[in-house]
Amino acid sequence: MEKPAPSTATNPTTWQSWLPFMVLALFVVLIGVLVWLTRAHDEESQRATLISDVLWMEQNLQFHLDRNATQLAQLGPELVVPEISPQTDAKLRQLLRAGSGLARIIWLDRNGTVLGALPPLSDDHLIGESLGAVPAQSIFRLARSMGRPVYGPVYEIAGGAHQFEVHVPTFTDAGLLGVTVGVYSLQDLVLRELPWWFSERYRVSVLDAEGREIAAKSKVAPLSDRQSYTMAFDPPGHGLLVQITAYRGEIRWIPVLLVASIVLLGSIIVWTIIQLRLQLARRLAAEQALRGETQFRKAMEDSLLTGLRARDLDGRITYVNPAFCRMVGYSAEELIGKLPPMPYWDPDHIDRTQEVHDMILAGEGPSEGVELRLRRKSGEQIDTLIFEAPLIDAEGRHTGWMGSMLDITEQKRTRELARQQDERLQATSRLITMGEMASTLAHELNQPLAAISSYNTGCLNCLADGTADPEELREIHEKLGRQARRAGEIIRRVHDFVRRSEPKREPLDVNAIIRDAVGLMEADTRKRRMRIRIDLAPRLPEIAADPVMIEQTIVNLVRNGMDAMEDNPRERRTVQIMSGEEGGQVIVRIADQGKGIEPDTARRLFEPFFSTKQEGMGMGLNICRSIAELHHGRLGFEANPDGGTIFVLSLPIESRPST
Amino acid sequence: MTEARAHVIDDDEAIRDALHWLLKTRKVPCTTWASGEAFLEALQPDWSGCAVLDIRMDGMSGLECFDALRARGNTLPVVFITGHGDVPMAVSALKKGAFDFIEKPFNDSDLVTVVQRAMESDAARRSAATLRQEIGARLALLTAREREVMDLILEGKYNKVIADQLDISMRTVEAHRSKVFEKMEVRSAVELAQLLKLHSGSH
Repeated sequence: MEKPAPSTATNPTTWQSWLPFMVLALFVVLIGVLVWLTRAHDEESQRATLISDVLWMEQNLQFHLDRNATQLAQLGPELVVPEISPQTDAKLRQLLRAGSGLARIIWLDRNGTVLGALPPLSDDHLIGESLGAVPAQSIFRLARSMGRPVYGPVYEIAGGAHQFEVHVPTFTDAGLLGVTVGVYSLQDLVLRELPWWFSERYRVSVLDAEGREIAAKSKVAPLSDRQSYTMAFDPPGHGLLVQITAYRGEIRWIPVLLVASIVLLGSIIVWTIIQLRLQLARRLAAEQALRGETQFRKAMEDSLLTGLRARDLDGRITYVNPAFCRMVGYSAEELIGKLPPMPYWDPDHIDRTQEVHDMILAGEGPSEGVELRLRRKSGEQIDTLIFEAPLIDAEGRHTGWMGSMLDITEQKRTRELARQQDERLQATSRLITMGEMASTLAHELNQPLAAISSYNTGCLNCLADGTADPEELREIHEKLGRQARRAGEIIRRVHDFVRRSEPKREPLDVNAIIRDAVGLMEADTRKRRMRIRIDLAPRLPEIAADPVMIEQTIVNLVRNGMDAMEDNPRERRTVQIMSGEEGGQVIVRIADQGKGIEPDTARRLFEPFFSTKQEGMGMGLNICRSIAELHHGRLGFEANPDGGTIFVLSLPIESRPST
Repeated sequence: MTEARAHVIDDDEAIRDALHWLLKTRKVPCTTWASGEAFLEALQPDWSGCAVLDIRMDGMSGLECFDALRARGNTLPVVFITGHGDVPMAVSALKKGAFDFIEKPFNDSDLVTVVQRAMESDAARRSAATLRQEIGARLALLTAREREVMDLILEGKYNKVIADQLDISMRTVEAHRSKVFEKMEVRSAVELAQLLKLHSGSH
């Protein structure tokens, strides 16, 4: 018997169950870090690009301003003249072309007096200048004293635009000749002059010393906070700052998609794991239920008082329950795998046991169970009632036989005892009834007999005395005769009583009667594991007989035959009934295969109250013979050449009417 | 005193008649009764002889009749006639004091003999009873002194011893002695002893 598997797998420890989640969490974190790193790297490269772009822009501005300043310095001597040559004018206009950032060029003499300007200065331009005058005197002076271009601070002009100036002094060998002032429009310089690709990518704004934004080239907000760079705008200087902010680049879909798919896949994995765990839990629950069920069934089988035994198709024992082991006294190890004959078979009944066994394996086991005597290991005999059924597996295949066994030793003994007591009681009561009858008959007969005897003695007395009076004697003899008749009357009454059980004759077919009798005994025959073989003459003349009596006789003789073969092996348990016609008589022969009849027994066989059976009344054969004689037939017996006895019932075909 | 006779009580008329005939041929006076009740009804205390009772009868059974008889103080000897199966019943009747029982079918001569013996026994008993009465009457005649002397005689003592014991003279003892013999109607001390033994034996 296998032991239940140890239940370690039923409850995995917590760390085992959480391990996949932890790994998954780590994985997600790592993915996050990777994404973050990628982004950081991305930003870093963006920033590097930004910085290089910014440097480029600064350089570009520097170069632009320097070139303008150089050109203004070259133009200076040509401007400090009363009348500007057309070539100069053309150069001026060339300088002021869109894209240079210069809004106006003013030229001053060595004292700072405005000599001219292009486009010409108007008054309204000067009104509201933050620093007072254009060009600013302080810058002029600084430029004059330093002898090189000097940039002035930014100022706001009407209209919200901002400008700054560059004063470029012009020297001759004699000294300062004049100063050329370039007025830059901040907007034009910074914002319009930038190439398109730069302004596409960056927002460029100019902040004054206070941090206010005074000019901006803006396409759209919002802007990235981090991707911005601020640098000093020098020249013109004076705390001016240029801030460059990268526009938020278009969303980079591939990493997003990657991350999204990673998140999605991760979710699917989590979901799958959860589902797996649920599935596992369900399986575990089902397994637990199955185990519980199995254990319950096993407990049932073990605590059952009925013995259970399974056998395969060859009759090999494959399973026994404890009750079975208890009944036969062998352990399960001693029984499982055994082939017949089994150790618990009773050697005294081995043939019958083998027969039952073969019958069951042939599928002919009676559904009402088979009673079988077995022997325990201790040698004790047990009576059992065995029910056998085919063992059908889940696929519907017949794989063996399942037997349940009940110990009926006690019941059988009780039943046997009760039956014996019952029989004894019946026999006793029959005897009592017979005794009663005999006693009554005796008393009844005694009366007239006693009277006759007394009369007779009296008469003899008279004769002896010689006092006999013929008249008196005649009277006495009349009385005597009456008493004799009275006794005769009693005998006649008894005879009448007996005559009432005379056969009721009717024409009958003895073969039919035999068949009826065999049918009557069929169940009993099967139960006793006997067989009846009938061998009837094809046609028998009808005889006049009492069917009930003849049937009773046949049943009785067959039963006797079976009783004689009780301990016979299987092949010698047949009662043969033969019928035939011989010499004007119908002959019925009933042959058994028992031990035959000993001469001592044979002599007394038909005597009333003689029986070889422990429980026998000793009336059966006596009655059978009486019945035969009532029909003017005979009942005899002869030895069976095959062993056993043949009872011969002969009935005359031409039955004389009974007298 | 009426003549002693056998009273046959049987419910079977033939048996009654046959027994009557049989007893008559042996000169035994006989009366038959068809039932115990009829017999008991007619019964007189001074009837002597015996009763022949069939044990198995319709109505009152033989045993019941016997018990009723004894209950009346009647000592008439009873002979039972029993059937085959009634022997234990008859034995118990014997123990109660029945005279005898005869089993049917019976030997008729035996029956008559038993009846005769029963009647003789009855007669003897009756005469013994009469004798006892007489002895009693004789004893009553004795004086106290004569009684004392008689008791000593019965003890087998000589006259001289009696005289010494009773402190009387020998002659007086002899006088008492002859008086006792005369009154008891005996001739010797031995006869006296027998008489008194008969008397006391019945008690």
